[in-house]
Amino acid sequence: MSPSLTEPVVDAHIFCDNLVRIFKTEGVEVVALQGLDLLIDRGELVAVVGPSGSGKSTLLNVLSGLDLPTAGVARVAGMDLLSMTGKDRLHYRRSIVGFIWQQTARNLLPYLTARENVLLPARLAGRKARGERADELLELLGVAGCADRMPGEMSGGQQQRVAIAVALANRPEVILADEPTGELDSETSEEVFAALRGANRELGVTVVIVTHDPLVSEQVDRTVGIRDGRTSSETLRRTSDEGDVIAEEYAVLDRVGRLQLPRDFMGALRMERRVRLELERDHIGVWPANQEDEDE
Amino acid sequence: MPITLLRVHRGAVAVLALLTFTASLLLAALPKALEKAYDRALGTVLDASTADVTDLKLEQRPGRLLTTPQEFAERDAQLRHDLPPALREVIASGGTSHYGAQTYGTPVIGRMGERNRPYQFFDLAWLPDADRRVRYVEGSPPGPTGSVMVGGTTLVRFDVAVVKEAADAMGLRVGSTLLIGVSGTMAARVTGFYEIVDPTDGFWEHNRGVSHAAVRWVGETKEYSVTGLTSADSLKHLDSNRDLRYSWVLGIGGGAVTARNAQAVVDDFGVYQAAVARQSGGGTRYVLQSGLPALLTGYLKRLSTAQTLMFLVLGGLGLVALGVIALAAQLLTERMRPALSLMRARGAGLPRIVGTGTAVAALAATPAVLFGYGLAFLVPGPVTPAVHLGPLLPAIAAVAFPAARLALSQREPLRDTRDDVVARRPSPRRIAAEVTVVGLALVGAYLLRARGLTASADGGGDPFLMAVPAALTLATALITLRCYPFPLRLAVRLAARRRRAVPFLGLAQAARARGVTALPVLILLPALAVSVFGSMVSGAIGNTQRLAAWEQVGASARVEGEADIPAATIERVRELPGVEAVVPVAKGTTQVGFGGRTATVVALDLAAYRHIVAGSPLTAPAPPAEVPAPAVPALVSPSLGALTTFEVGWPGRMQATTKGTIEGLPGLAYATDELIVLPYDAAKRAGLREFANTLLIKGEVDRDQLIKVVNTPNTLVTTFDDALREIAGTPLTSTVLRAFTIVTVALAGYALVAVVIALVIGAAERARALSYLRTLGLTQRQARRLTMLEIAPLIVLASLAGLLLGLVLPVALAPGIDLSAYAGLPVDGFPIDLGMPLLLAAGLTTVALLGAFTHAIAGRAVAGALRLGESS
Repeated sequence: MSPSLTEPVVDAHIFCDNLVRIFKTEGVEVVALQGLDLLIDRGELVAVVGPSGSGKSTLLNVLSGLDLPTAGVARVAGMDLLSMTGKDRLHYRRSIVGFIWQQTARNLLPYLTARENVLLPARLAGRKARGERADELLELLGVAGCADRMPGEMSGGQQQRVAIAVALANRPEVILADEPTGELDSETSEEVFAALRGANRELGVTVVIVTHDPLVSEQVDRTVGIRDGRTSSETLRRTSDEGDVIAEEYAVLDRVGRLQLPRDFMGALRMERRVRLELERDHIGVWPANQEDEDE
Repeated sequence: MPITLLRVHRGAVAVLALLTFTASLLLAALPKALEKAYDRALGTVLDASTADVTDLKLEQRPGRLLTTPQEFAERDAQLRHDLPPALREVIASGGTSHYGAQTYGTPVIGRMGERNRPYQFFDLAWLPDADRRVRYVEGSPPGPTGSVMVGGTTLVRFDVAVVKEAADAMGLRVGSTLLIGVSGTMAARVTGFYEIVDPTDGFWEHNRGVSHAAVRWVGETKEYSVTGLTSADSLKHLDSNRDLRYSWVLGIGGGAVTARNAQAVVDDFGVYQAAVARQSGGGTRYVLQSGLPALLTGYLKRLSTAQTLMFLVLGGLGLVALGVIALAAQLLTERMRPALSLMRARGAGLPRIVGTGTAVAALAATPAVLFGYGLAFLVPGPVTPAVHLGPLLPAIAAVAFPAARLALSQREPLRDTRDDVVARRPSPRRIAAEVTVVGLALVGAYLLRARGLTASADGGGDPFLMAVPAALTLATALITLRCYPFPLRLAVRLAARRRRAVPFLGLAQAARARGVTALPVLILLPALAVSVFGSMVSGAIGNTQRLAAWEQVGASARVEGEADIPAATIERVRELPGVEAVVPVAKGTTQVGFGGRTATVVALDLAAYRHIVAGSPLTAPAPPAEVPAPAVPALVSPSLGALTTFEVGWPGRMQATTKGTIEGLPGLAYATDELIVLPYDAAKRAGLREFANTLLIKGEVDRDQLIKVVNTPNTLVTTFDDALREIAGTPLTSTVLRAFTIVTVALAGYALVAVVIALVIGAAERARALSYLRTLGLTQRQARRLTMLEIAPLIVLASLAGLLLGLVLPVALAPGIDLSAYAGLPVDGFPIDLGMPLLLAAGLTTVALLGAFTHAIAGRAVAGALRLGESS
């Protein structure tokens, strides 16, 4: 690998390069991330999708500073996640990231009211907890009416919106959400996602959502697909001049030129083991090797 | 935040609080109660002795006469002033303390105006403290001295008062004047008679001659002696013509000597004895007499053994209590984990997390510990440092354990761990640490055997050696934890081949269990080890006490007469209900050879005696082979073994031929005696009549009936039961045995709690697994059996290891613990009696399994369990 290829792209808000995470067990090693690359710009709203076991949650744990990668580069808001000290890590969790889990119950302490839950991060960080800020956040997320209720007295959607308020409480730069709508029906999902998008637009927070929910993944500007511990595809959406949403799926090309073909593409043309590439004027053609053999 | 968590997890908090409370109460109250029991035992020892044994008495033959009470009081003050501190503490100022002057062995040589009565002794005593202890029934107290003319010589006349009973026995009346002393004869005029106000007053134990007229048989005549009280004025005239002694008695205050200061008192006594021996104060040197040091030394020996045993069982109890508290703390931290993890993700630092979790534990434990500590003060007993230190242990455990656990589990980032994969291989560092512990325990056990536990000179134990039992327990626990999956995996393999799923699933789960399993093992194992150890020690004490009682009596009962026991009496004894056999014995002494050596001669039928002791721990040799008449065959003690034939003078003159040696005969002769055993008909062979002065009886015979049948003066009846009761009644024995019982019960309780808590900690995970299996068709019944099977192997294996350790501990510690003080004999070897230990192991295992069963039958709804399963 030449030095030029390892040069990080400095202006990305979230930058992962060749990220590896290995869980060692008795006799077996589970490689959860095997060289994952990811670039997310400041203020982006990105969905990460992928089949279960593809490494989505591991990625999110690494990004949230709760887990430590085995190798590679992971940088969020200019902080190197691999070389952080305990103090850095604490600062990182207090001021840089906010986290939302899938289970509504895990996001909130069940015996505190919504307002107290929102105030918790500030209190934990040793800052003066301001009630107005909490109320503003709850207002912003449309759950101001639940301020004095316990999580048990709220619906799932309300709980998740309070959870978003909690995640936003310390004015983080990045919000990481692990299947935030996983336990909700479609209508409530819509509300929760709208809340996340609102936070993204109004507060300029970078939002990374890990999701299975097509409702979510189809509404973000960019969807990153992960397969077998690697980023495999990206879907970009833009609104056409006529107002239609145009989604274009891209394969991810890493810095050494590796490319992961979508599985259904490979299936359709029965591509196996090797393909033939041909450089044309404005594109590269990919042909199944066996077809070529027949042609010859 | 801690308050909120405290409120939310009140169940776990209550468990922790309850456990710290009981531990604090037990650890504060038991040492207190034990100290009290030690003191009571000491009280029994001192009460069983008379004041003249326990009190300190300084005696001096006067050189310069002390003529006024003032001088005595000054000396008294000086002697008290010189007391070393520990002694001064236990010496009371009133009570039996007193001083005075007294003459000894003064014969009455005549009476004025009447006929002299021979064989009378009359001594004089000046005892200022006696005045208020007597009541005059005739005449008046003695006045000042005067003089009388006897045969042209002027003699000093003392006024004396005498105890009333002496008046009749010695023929005295008010006005009688006795001439006493052969040289420097004095006259003693009786002015009054008194009675003792309180005959039980210890004062009179020092002055028996003043309170009673002593009667002694000299040949066929009675010899009387009495001591009369005289006035202070007499001091001027009491001089070295008489055997005069001044004495100062320093009385021991009731309850002043305790288990804690006894050693210091013994030490100070030696110091004081040496100090007063150098002083004379104008007379001969003071002689300090007291039986107190000897009494205390014997007591301290028993105490030291008791304390060692109590240290071991209380240490075991403390260890188990701490283990259970750690388990409860673990339950609490498990319950708080979601909240603390959330706090951590939301930006709480490690100190904050640890602080919050620890604060919850502290809020739960501190009031509980204080309450237990306070309640312990209701238990009567002296307050020792252990009372304050004991409750600190559970408090520290309840706070330190969650702190350490939270710090470790919330340490970040979580390297190389994931909940869904099994634990990694143990680190080499951990294995090295475990091997070190096992090695240290073994070395310690070896040293303990070699050196003994309480062998150090100052009486205190070596802390390293005192920790050996705990180290051995820990080592066994570590080995058990390391090795228990192996037999289980074998069982899993066997169960896998069977068709039924429940044993396989249960055993597989048990074999994979980790983390949580360590603590129950650490609790069950010492619990059982301590209980078994206790039962082994009790068993050894009990057995040796029985052996000692057998050796003392020599049979179920023994009748010993000064004179011959008539044949008719023997017949009547034989016919008593319960009597199975009676062996008549003739016992006497004889001189052996010409050296003037005396030996005990026992004539009995050894074959019959063997029959009597069959079934008891005693053994007797076979009768010696016959020898040609007129010689008789004899067994002799080894010291006489050199004599092949010798002449004995009792029961008749005869020639004895040595046919073997014998070391003592239980109940008849000690092993150290020089002993000659002859056939019972030895007297007959010597041409005399057969006779018996001792009967050995086999069978459950009633003591009172036996006494009634024998009914001869000067006959001693001893039964095995009496002897056993006397030996077992030794102070402290019951304390030791009762403490074992209390600790065993407490340990069983803790074992039960430990198992239940361990199950509750894993409840959520188990419920998830069970609910999954229930959806696959597992019945409620099978679910219960699964839970039982999951925990049972661990309980059974831990119990087995505990049983084994409990059986090995006494063997390892035996040379270090001297039980002879309790048993009346040196305890050699612990009985390999598996009955009680097995019963204990089975009991404790059952109790623990019962806990598991109770947990298992507290059924949970499938739906609820499924919901539980989601939350992770």
